[in-house]
Amino acid sequence: MSLAINRRQLLLGIVGAGGAVAGGLAKSAVAGEHPAHPVAPPDAVGMLYDNTICTGCRACMTACSEANGLPPDTAAGMPLETALAAGLWDMPADLNEKTKNIIKLYREPDGSGFCFVKRQCMHCLDPACVTGCPFGALEKNQWGAVTWNSSLCIGCRYCEVGCPFDVPKFQWDKWNPKIVKCEFCFDQRLKKNQEPACTAVCPTGAVIFGKRDGLLSKAKQRIADAPNRYFENRVYGEYEAGGTQVLYLSNVAFEKIGLPKLGSTSLGHYATKVTSVIYKWLSGPLVVAAVLGAVIKRNWNRHEAERPDREKETGLKDQL
Amino acid sequence: MNRWKKIAELRWKALDELLSAANHNHRTPRTQDEDGALLVNHWQRGVPVFDEPVVTPTLLFFVALAAVGFTLALVRFFSPLGPFSGMNDAYAWGIWKTFNVMTLTALGSGPLAVGMAAWVFNRKKLHVVMRTALVSGFLFYATGLVALGFDVGRAWNFYNILLPWRWNLESAMFEISFCMPVYCAIFLFFENLPLVLERFYYTGTPERKAFLSMCAPVLRRIYPFMITGAYVLPLMHQSSLGGLLLLAGNKINPLWQTPCLPFLYLLAAGLCGLGFVTFLLLIASLRYSRPLDLGVLGELGNLLSVMCVIFLGVRFIDIIWRGQLHAAFAFDKMSLFFLSETTMILIPAIALRSKIVRETPRSLLRMTILACLGGLFFRFIPTTIAFMPARHARYFPAVPELLMTAGYIALGITAFGLAVKYFAILPGEIKDWNYMFRLVRQRREAAQPKGETQWPASLSTQ
Repeated sequence: MSLAINRRQLLLGIVGAGGAVAGGLAKSAVAGEHPAHPVAPPDAVGMLYDNTICTGCRACMTACSEANGLPPDTAAGMPLETALAAGLWDMPADLNEKTKNIIKLYREPDGSGFCFVKRQCMHCLDPACVTGCPFGALEKNQWGAVTWNSSLCIGCRYCEVGCPFDVPKFQWDKWNPKIVKCEFCFDQRLKKNQEPACTAVCPTGAVIFGKRDGLLSKAKQRIADAPNRYFENRVYGEYEAGGTQVLYLSNVAFEKIGLPKLGSTSLGHYATKVTSVIYKWLSGPLVVAAVLGAVIKRNWNRHEAERPDREKETGLKDQL
Repeated sequence: MNRWKKIAELRWKALDELLSAANHNHRTPRTQDEDGALLVNHWQRGVPVFDEPVVTPTLLFFVALAAVGFTLALVRFFSPLGPFSGMNDAYAWGIWKTFNVMTLTALGSGPLAVGMAAWVFNRKKLHVVMRTALVSGFLFYATGLVALGFDVGRAWNFYNILLPWRWNLESAMFEISFCMPVYCAIFLFFENLPLVLERFYYTGTPERKAFLSMCAPVLRRIYPFMITGAYVLPLMHQSSLGGLLLLAGNKINPLWQTPCLPFLYLLAAGLCGLGFVTFLLLIASLRYSRPLDLGVLGELGNLLSVMCVIFLGVRFIDIIWRGQLHAAFAFDKMSLFFLSETTMILIPAIALRSKIVRETPRSLLRMTILACLGGLFFRFIPTTIAFMPARHARYFPAVPELLMTAGYIALGITAFGLAVKYFAILPGEIKDWNYMFRLVRQRREAAQPKGETQWPASLSTQ
């Protein structure tokens, strides 16, 4: 019987080998906590965009492309020469593989009014893209900036499937494709103690940079000062998908300007609340392996005990 | 058209004849089960398909299709993804992931479903069909992984799988990209090893035979541990495939987006696994004129109906629990998808409870097809049809995408068609096995007359 236990230990060793290595080494085993409503760390930076101030000058788009070295997006299929001759330089229709930041125009269907909206990565407090990224190419970096590392990305595009804001974009026409998304100018400016290009250049103060906590209270002050100005008198991004570091104030319904209606629970929490218990130190799979292993071993021993009879009866070697 | 109809009719007739043969001509001795009841068990061991041409027009068709797929795959290797697929930033996953991997590996879960029934739940009858399940499962997984290799944009970075400190253990995608290749390359490969070594044994020189006889006890010693791993790993990654979709949140219609999705994906894998093995056994026996063992097939049908009932139970409890019952019967587009998928599982769930239905090959075949389709629908719909990311985005697979998918499937069919002729996979009777050896010996003697080493006259150029 002691032999059987040794064998079971061997089995556990086989099944759990990967897990044991991983458990000891992977940092995610420690960091794998996803509260339903994450709290922003005090050093989290943010952006506050107020579409009642934005004039749609698109200076932020030019500054973004310049800071990130992005090529011009010359409308669908238009050659650069034609675009230049027509006086058009950069005219993306939406966030895409050449555009990390965009100002879009929303017009009411009855023509009664219009507004602008700035779109870029929301830098969620608990980003779905980071939770799903298999090798941590996307990570929640210093100050909460969500950044992408080319040497860890396998191009599986799970970030695109997961992101509730449809932000990450994939270079479909490149042999060596990258994931393109706003990274809060992390390498380009944030690390050098500079604010992101878009907030630095904004002439009206429609988008401003600061600590998330400060921006949130500033936004709430604006709502208090003008009680009927903003949609639902609330800040978009305070609670959406567990909270984001980019905050919005709008005088038009958020859904109309492309900001989806989302619950306040983080997607990372929703997706991992069961598996994080089952897979904690691989305990679930190991328990299943131990139970199945014990039953299989019993059935196997019986099968083997009957083997000589079977072989004698048929005169042939037993098949597995 | 008439000709095909006639052929189909002839095949059905052949099937019915096989059935009556199985029922009335007791060509093999009856065996006793545990309770002492007499059984007519015609499937006794895996027997290669012999006396059939290896190269057939059907095989050539599938080879051609696989060749087209692989030529395209080769081009894809040197080309970006864009021109090869209908994928876009909203529908970032195309059919290579959603169909070849997330959907078809459910059909490839036969080794899990039949294996657990045989080894864990001790359904001894099912040991004889394990090889059919193992080979088909291996091919589904292997072709799915190849599809995945050409789908990812930056495959060269996959070496990170060897660097544990880079693993994101909370990612379902990581779990799959680690677990699936390990399962396929180590555990499924190991389970398929005996049937390959067996051929080497029977065709080998005395030295090789002696060597393989020496290896057999080692294989048998580690076998129970390996099959335990071979059930734990797919339990993990088949549920993780459903877990992938949790992160997509409310992009997926609430009829499919549920915290139970991993469990339901796993149940669907069991359902499709059992269904597909039964289906494959039926059509392979029909194609190669093997008698059917309705004891074994009935057992599979019985288990299939149990899986269908469990699946539907969990599905409906979940939908009622989340208060989505009204959406299920709203009779809009998504509701109709839900109802058709559910009906396809409900019919076999009820029908296969009847012994008459599951022991009539024709109805059993129909029920397994329905169950497999229902399971596949359930696995595919939330990835693409019920996946609604942004307004104005559409996805339909491009022609090269479809051809590559067809190519992977054709490769699997080709490989299975060849494997059953070279290895003892499809279940048969001992007398077939013995007859095959007699035939081989006779042919060898005919080709090499006693005492002479020269070519037979028929092959001589003179």
